Amino acid sequence: MIEELAKNLVELKKEFAQIYNGKSQIQEVIPKSPSELFSINKSHLELLHQFVSSNPIYYNSFEQRIDSIDCVVYEGDINKYWLNSIQHGSSKAPFSPTWMMSSYIAALFSKELGYSEVIDIGSGDGRIAYCAKILDMESYSIEIDDMLVDLQNTLASTLDFHPFCSDAVCFDYSSLHLSKPIFFIGGLAQMGGVSLASGVLKSIQSLSNLKNKTGWVFAGTLSKKYTPDPKNQAGWGTLIEENNLKYIRSISLPAAWTFRESDDVQYIFAESN
Amino acid sequence: MTSDEDISSMFSSESQKLKNLFDTTDSNFDMNIHEIIETYYHVMNVSSMATMLKQQAHSESKDLMNKIQETEKLISERFDSVIHPKIMEKLSTSIQELAQNLQSRNSTNKSKEETENDAKLFDELREKMSTKEFVEQYANGLSDD
Repeated sequence: MIEELAKNLVELKKEFAQIYNGKSQIQEVIPKSPSELFSINKSHLELLHQFVSSNPIYYNSFEQRIDSIDCVVYEGDINKYWLNSIQHGSSKAPFSPTWMMSSYIAALFSKELGYSEVIDIGSGDGRIAYCAKILDMESYSIEIDDMLVDLQNTLASTLDFHPFCSDAVCFDYSSLHLSKPIFFIGGLAQMGGVSLASGVLKSIQSLSNLKNKTGWVFAGTLSKKYTPDPKNQAGWGTLIEENNLKYIRSISLPAAWTFRESDDVQYIFAESN
Repeated sequence: MTSDEDISSMFSSESQKLKNLFDTTDSNFDMNIHEIIETYYHVMNVSSMATMLKQQAHSESKDLMNKIQETEKLISERFDSVIHPKIMEKLSTSIQELAQNLQSRNSTNKSKEETENDAKLFDELREKMSTKEFVEQYANGLSDD
């Protein structure tokens, strides 16, 4: 069911990219209501719309029928966050959000795998942690950029996904009292993701109670614009092997930066071996 | 087959084009990004050609050797020492001013049109930053020599 949902979202994005004639820097769609192709809990869907509607990175929205699905198109701009991140050198990879629907599907898959907590590392506006919370998982959102954490705090009033302004490599994960967590690592392997993931992996592997029951989700790409990893896995193969992780599967899902690309983000799910 | 004379003539022609490009740059320093990139590519092409010809030139090709030395001097004295630092300075100033301008703008309650117009300025900023990175790579090449 989750695989179908992911596949349908990728198809919807392809169709939307062909017909979209706006000028916004980022854009995404969310189905207006549940349907056969997007069989999603109605209240969950409403919470997805609520997050985007109250998120100041979006400045316009309109309804549009895309490939027989009634959707709401959200248009946004993240330039000021980019400018802040490059001026303060706070982040290795500038903020570029995944789609809200993609966050929800990735969180759904995490829940299906049996994880009880989602920790979103390099969380941007906190949408993955928010989606985990929709699904009754506990969630924590760790972001180094203070401007983005301020944004998260305004969005966490609906569902508290626990935003933290911190360097994820130095964060004290034992303070969260995690039982079966899954970590989402923001940022492609080729854009500082490996160094971020390695730092967090080292912290978690030092905690004996989490060492063997932690899940990992890495955002990867198959795009030829980026140097491939010799062990593949969308850029993450070497890190997975060196850290003795077991690959579970990958899901392709749209993000803001893949809107005009033929390849979407490959979310690589792995677990401790 | 290309003769030594043909090679020498081609090199002279490229060197002359480079000199003309430097003359134009001296009289008008407001180059756009396309012109900056074109200038650097031309300098790099002629430099590579000079290096290759120096290795291949026969000892009797004195005219060609003189032309190569003259061109290398032109690049070193006019481009590396004068034009390149000026371009770097102009780009840095322009990036700083544009970034400050964008940061000082009120980002709340902007209309759709204002947001999308500002986005063009952000694109311009990104383009200038990429150009500066490209120009810095040339500078790194100089320091490695």
